[in-house]
Amino acid sequence: MRVRTDDLIILFSRLAIGGVLLYAGFMKAVGPSAEFAAAMETYKVFPPSLLTPLAIGVPYVEMWAGLFLLTGLYTRQAALFASLLFISFLTLISSAFLRGIDLTSCGCFGSEVLSPRYTLILDVSFLILALSTFKLATYSPPLSLDRAFPRI
Amino acid sequence: MNFQRFLLATFLVACPVLAVYTVKQTNWGPVLATPKSRQTGDLRAKVTIVEYSDFQCPSCATVDPTIHQYLEIYKGKIRLIYKYYPLVNIHKNAMASAHAAECAARQDHFWPYHDRLFQTQLSWANLQDPTTSFMAIAEEVKLDMPKFQTCYGDPARLKVIEQDAQEAQAHQITATPTFLIGDERLVGQVVVTDGARAIEKALRQ
Repeated sequence: MRVRTDDLIILFSRLAIGGVLLYAGFMKAVGPSAEFAAAMETYKVFPPSLLTPLAIGVPYVEMWAGLFLLTGLYTRQAALFASLLFISFLTLISSAFLRGIDLTSCGCFGSEVLSPRYTLILDVSFLILALSTFKLATYSPPLSLDRAFPRI
Repeated sequence: MNFQRFLLATFLVACPVLAVYTVKQTNWGPVLATPKSRQTGDLRAKVTIVEYSDFQCPSCATVDPTIHQYLEIYKGKIRLIYKYYPLVNIHKNAMASAHAAECAARQDHFWPYHDRLFQTQLSWANLQDPTTSFMAIAEEVKLDMPKFQTCYGDPARLKVIEQDAQEAQAHQITATPTFLIGDERLVGQVVVTDGARAIEKALRQ
């Protein structure tokens, strides 16, 4: 059986993006939500009343997107959704940089500190991977639930 | 097949919820005993506020007057415990200031020293060597200077600070100031707007 380049790209993207989203969401979800709320507060974008609901909800959204990508169910939709997530993260971090806000950590991985500069690079890379998956996965990719349980 | 896909999707949505529910910690472990010199308010009060703070952190200095107000408003009802959590990666004088404060604590003058460190934060925060500033504050709050100097020169005193910082990390605290009030955790300047509510809630429990 010939392995197509597209298959490899999609599989790699699914594993990379899915794994990162699942890990990032899980680390935040099991940690204290007040910590993530405080991390979001430093971006000075969200109204205070939204901080707690977002701190509780966003990690689950990340985990769901990650799981759907990893397992390859609704792959294209999950890739599109992941792209939107990465665009939001990129916008937030870039706007913080432009406004001169000194972020010590992006808050992306809960209690683990990750420099916002590295986050920007990671976000751009993952956005490219997510968009590639969305563009390429017009068929049911191998090793995916989309292939095992095709739509009728 | 479409129904199977729907079932699978439902399963995938439920998985993280169940996993987090199983793993999520709600009890972050004990707050270790702290010397009386770093406690203020009524030591037998019903509500204990634990503050994890860094003397070089601007938000910690900003919220300090509010904490003083709470101690006044809830006199006899609350006790405040100060825990060192110098964020050494971003604040170069955080450890030195905590060290100086610990030396003041050893002479039972922690709180006046603590207050002056926050009030003068801007003057020493970016100094290459803040020792002169810390000595000046020590004189101002009338510490025994030879004792203070000996203590400040003794790296063994840093152990207490490191223990507090380890405790903070065990509680997954990533930012300062973080306040534990009853079963609530308030991070950053939220304590200004939500502190009184959290105290009232803890008093009712």
